[in-house]
Amino acid sequence: MSQNIIIIGGGIIGLSCAYELRMRGFDVTVLEARRCGGQASGAAAGMLAPFSENTEGPDAFFRLCQFSLLLYPEWQEQIRSISGVHFEYANTGSLHIAYHAADLLSLEGRRLWQRQYGSSGEIVSGAELFRMEPALSRDVLAALYTPEESHIYAPDFIRALEQACRISGVLIKEELGSIRLVEWDRHIAVSAADGTVFYGDRLVASTGAWAQELSEQLGLPIPVYPIRGQICAYRTETQPPVKHMVFFNQGYLVAKANGTMVCGASEDVAGYDTSVTERGIERLRNWNNKVLPFLEGQLPFHSWAGLRPATQDGYPLIGPVEGAERVLMAAGHYRNGILLSPVTAKFIADFIENRCVPSEVREMFSPSRFANAWI
Amino acid sequence: MKPDLLRIGDYELRSRFLIGTGLFPNPYVQMEAIKASEAEVLTFAIRRINLESSADDSILQHVEEGKHIFLPNTSGASTADEAVRIARLARASGLSDWIKVEISANERTLMPDPIETLKATEILVKEGFTVLPYTSDDPVICKRLEEAGAAAVMPGAAPIGTGLGILNAYNLGLIVEEAHVPIIVDAGLGSASDVAQAMELGVSGVLMNTPVAKARDPVMMATAMKLAIQAGRQSYLAGRIARKQYASASSGFDEFILK
Repeated sequence: MSQNIIIIGGGIIGLSCAYELRMRGFDVTVLEARRCGGQASGAAAGMLAPFSENTEGPDAFFRLCQFSLLLYPEWQEQIRSISGVHFEYANTGSLHIAYHAADLLSLEGRRLWQRQYGSSGEIVSGAELFRMEPALSRDVLAALYTPEESHIYAPDFIRALEQACRISGVLIKEELGSIRLVEWDRHIAVSAADGTVFYGDRLVASTGAWAQELSEQLGLPIPVYPIRGQICAYRTETQPPVKHMVFFNQGYLVAKANGTMVCGASEDVAGYDTSVTERGIERLRNWNNKVLPFLEGQLPFHSWAGLRPATQDGYPLIGPVEGAERVLMAAGHYRNGILLSPVTAKFIADFIENRCVPSEVREMFSPSRFANAWI
Repeated sequence: MKPDLLRIGDYELRSRFLIGTGLFPNPYVQMEAIKASEAEVLTFAIRRINLESSADDSILQHVEEGKHIFLPNTSGASTADEAVRIARLARASGLSDWIKVEISANERTLMPDPIETLKATEILVKEGFTVLPYTSDDPVICKRLEEAGAAAVMPGAAPIGTGLGILNAYNLGLIVEEAHVPIIVDAGLGSASDVAQAMELGVSGVLMNTPVAKARDPVMMATAMKLAIQAGRQSYLAGRIARKQYASASSGFDEFILK
């Protein structure tokens, strides 16, 4: 007997779960308060960079990120062929640049542990570095080159994913306004602002920066906070191409195939405010000039902001809620939602099918881990 | 009763908690944890920040201005010369004239190089910095650093970020006994009991980052560490009882026996 799955939230995580579950034969309905991909997912720069995003060591979160990167080639190919929607997916590799000799120790430390975990990274400097990336500032001393990292054009990818969902038979309901979980014990019932009620057997809550809204209903602490990311883009058609993603200790720059250079991103504590501030963008501009001198004097043609769902311990919430087994959470992916979407979809579907999920995933990313026993 | 202040250089501090700003999962948790710690001294790696415009820095921008003493560190330096150069950069940027000398030669263990640390301390003291060197828990090198003019000496409890706790309590005790400047345990602590143990050994303060930032609830852990510092400090000042081999009744009923 096929279960009927309700998914709240039509961002990258919700749509990926919907697609994966549909492929495994479930009836799936996605409920979206506004428009699919309208929040953090559509605002993302689409870096698929587990090595650059995890610099300290191979913890459970890094391994999750890296596993997801390995799923990406096939995952995006499926989405592309089913949807027929074109999107950029570029295996460019990345350069994490350093300006000071004091950075070399940590780059080398990173290279050492990352090479044991699937990176073929190497430190490049001097003429070799500038041959690889001629536009880099000559103040750059060296870089950790990680060939395995990629990027994807998130706004197009989200459209493709939504289209793949629709074509494969996922029901997507948008513009529902406030969505409330009404019943989750014997079955799932979710109501929309206009009073429509949707019924199902299981619920996947992929509500990103709004995940905390379920906290009261479920009687479970869900410490997810919005952290605003401001981001901007330059037109660089007339400039020398920048072939790699460039990371530095204050942000990143990535050249997209559409002739733009995306630069991110701030991490602001600003509640649910998604406005762009002059200071936020000025800050991005100030660094950019030091990385790619040709950006000096250029103005971004576009700037925007999204709300990253940050959790209390930095790890996402993936899996069933203890004591409310019909409810699964897939939220709190912070800076890595695009990267982590295939692996999240896989594990959410595995949970629903009662398949084996690694104990590390069940423990480290359990949505119930913040519920202390208050005795 | 006069307040139990920690004196470092020209400053008197109410808090004995020095906290690192790195590794937090996000700026919201970072800010809340720093607030909960009530730490007055914040430390961060100079190489990680934007010195040309520290108000724009991805870490420092979230710290309330004027509320803290900055203790920039030279992490990443592998020689005295590099550390000195980094320290000068930090001071020139107007951030602080306090400096934590941190020199590691090995990228895997990050164990401090005591020889280079001593050299850098000598140079930076002469240049007028308030120098807090991070070093190994060796009583002789700690004394030498004090003699070189360190404002406080910061032996590690265990390698950075390991959370192994105090590996050599005997050495730390000796270091405290010999010292005429504050001894601050820096690196290697994991939990509140480690912190209380350090304070009970008589150290003047504790510098931590990883055990707070990487806890499941960093804000609650910051509070726990703050309380452990207070508890350990008061336990040290109050003077613990002597250890005895056998039980002795606490009710002392002998003297009430009627003859």
